[in-house]
This record gives sequence, C-alpha cells and structure tokens, in this order.
Amino acid sequence: MTWTCEQTEARLSDYLDGLLDPAEWSAFNQHVNACAICTPLVASVAHLLGGLYALEQVEPPPQLETAILRATVGVVGTKHDFWAWLRGLQSPRFVYSAVSVAATIVLLLTASGFNWRKPKLADLAPATVYRKANGQLHVAYARSTKFVSDLRVVYEIQSRMNESDQNPAMRQETIPQSSPKKEPGRTDNTNPSTPKQQNRANDISRRLEVLACEFPFLSSSLVDRRVP
Amino acid sequence: MRRHTRRIFNICYRFTGNRTEAEDLTQDVFLRVYRTLASYRSAHGGFATWMTSVTRNLLIDHYRRTKRDRVTDSLDDAMPVVENKESVGRRPDEQALLGELSGQVQSALTRLSPELREAVILRDLQQLEYIEIQRVLEVPEGTVKSRINRGRIELARILQQMGVRPA
Repeated sequence: MTWTCEQTEARLSDYLDGLLDPAEWSAFNQHVNACAICTPLVASVAHLLGGLYALEQVEPPPQLETAILRATVGVVGTKHDFWAWLRGLQSPRFVYSAVSVAATIVLLLTASGFNWRKPKLADLAPATVYRKANGQLHVAYARSTKFVSDLRVVYEIQSRMNESDQNPAMRQETIPQSSPKKEPGRTDNTNPSTPKQQNRANDISRRLEVLACEFPFLSSSLVDRRVP
Repeated sequence: MRRHTRRIFNICYRFTGNRTEAEDLTQDVFLRVYRTLASYRSAHGGFATWMTSVTRNLLIDHYRRTKRDRVTDSLDDAMPVVENKESVGRRPDEQALLGELSGQVQSALTRLSPELREAVILRDLQQLEYIEIQRVLEVPEGTVKSRINRGRIELARILQQMGVRPA
C-alpha cells in the first residue's frame, strides 16, 4: 500500500504520537522516504514539537495573584488582614465555641460563689476564686452526703413497713410492745376486762344459767363453762 | 490558587504572546470563574477543564476584539519585523526567559489562526488529553485531532518561513 502526500500529511500527528499501527507506520515511512515534499515536512514538524516541549512555563508576576484576589473576593494584603480575620470570626463554628467558653466561665464563677449583683474585681483574683470554689465544693459534698444518708434511712423505713404489711405475724413482732399497765394493788399480771367485755360475759353467764335450769342434764358441763 | 494562576497565565501568554495582555486576561478569567461558579457542574469535566474552557472563550473574545488592531499592525509591519517586534518592548528578564527556539516558536504561535493555535497550545503545551480538549473546545474528537495536526504543520511552515530549519 502506498500513501499519497495528503494521506501522509493527514496522519502526520498520529505518526509522531506513535498512534499508527505497523502497516500504517510502514506505509507512512515508505512514502516519506521517497517523497521530496514530505521528508522536510516531517522533519520540521518533529523539530517544532521538540521546540514546543522545550517551552518552559512562564512564571506569572507576583502581584497577579493579589490582583486576582482583590478583583474577586475584594480584600487582600496585610492592611486588610484584620478585617478578614474579623469576618472569619462570624463563622458558626467560632460562635459556638465562644458561647461554650463563656457559659463555662459563667458556670465556674457562679459555682465559686461570685456575686453577679455586686461584682468586685477582688473576687476574680485566682486565690479568692480558688478559696471560694473549695468552700463551695466542701459544702456541696457535705450536703450530698447528708442527702444520701437521709435517703438511706427513708428507704429502710419504707422497706420495713412493706415487710410488715405483707406478714401480719411479723408486724405483731415488730411493733414494740408497751409494758402492761399494772393497776395499783394488782400483782397477778392479768389484764383487767373492759366494761364492755364484762357486760358480755355477764350476759353469757345469765344465759347459761337459764339453759342449766331448762336442761338439768347439762347443768354440770354448763356450769364449768361459766365465764368467770 | 497559585497552580491555576500559573496554568491560566501560561495559556493566555502563549495565545497572545504578550505578558501584559496575559495578565489582564488571567485576571478576567478568574473574575468570570468567580462570578459564574454556580454554573459549574462536575459532570461536564473537572474544575480545571471548566476553567480552561472559560479561558478559551475569553481568549477567542479577546482575539475578535483586537482583530482590527492586529490587521492594522500587520499592514504597517512587514513579516521580518515580527521578530524585532518581539524583541522591542520586552523586558530583559523576558528575553532571558525565552530561549532562541522558544522565542521563535512563541512568535510563530501568535501568527497561527486562533482555532489551530488553541488546539496546539492545549495539546502540546498544556498536555491535555483529547477528551479534555474536546470538552474545552466543544467539538468532536475528529475535529480536535484534525486541528492539532493542521496546527502543527502550519506552525512548522511558519517557522520555516521565519528561517528556522531543523538541525
């Protein structure tokens, strides 16, 4: 296959970039070696590519970057750094951090007993803050200890009451028994009957007597059961 | 920021061949990117590709805007003066920066048509892939390859006309 000058020229870049397949490469070379027009053309383009690749990057002037920043974002340079820094403070992240720090300081000062109504510069002295914070800490510890102790007593009482509610026998045991009242002159350690009980006992005795009269064969056993 | 500034400035400088214009255009690119940042969609390629696309559009606008001035200049100045024109008005540090061949290539680049110039700059100077160039120029891949090829050949011919011969 023999190529024409037009074909060779059209595929010149592919040849120089190494994109021709072996058959095309062979045809290309065959034509170029025999063509008086294409030989210098290929040589000059190859030389040009060498020159293009040899072109070094040109460094832009230093002030160009500053000029671009000024034209786009508006302010650059050391003069305006303060304002750029101030704008940076408006970011949500910084605001959250600042609020957190302020809240922490307020909490610590309040905990150390700082008087917000009558603030004094002396109260902000580290030694004063430490002393007050130490005192507040001890008071808080004592209060919490007492609170825990009180809670323990309350729970103990509650648990005892629950246990006694569930077990009446136990309740009798757990209720403190008062010492029996002893009437003056009584030494037999017996409970005296109340008037109501006494009346009831009398009533039962009367009935038993009636029954004994009606049924004499029961008299002996009924008499034995008579309430004292 | 610095990396993008350097890259955009280089594209602009290679396209215009003038540092002052490149500085102004780079600044314009960043300004436009800053204003139209909301329109950027990652689905259309990376941020660098999008930025290059913005740069390309601004360069084309700049080329069209200054076309009349260039025509007047080219009528006033003959072709051999182009090299002198490059030398005149350029600071010594710029002269030192560009070597002999580099200066000639840069000079030849400015004489290339904008369509071919941008394709060559993006491919051979910025080393962009075909797919990226396709996204930037918004043309099919075949057109991209064709423009790069024609741009290289045209550039080689311009260099030959300028008296640059391969060693």
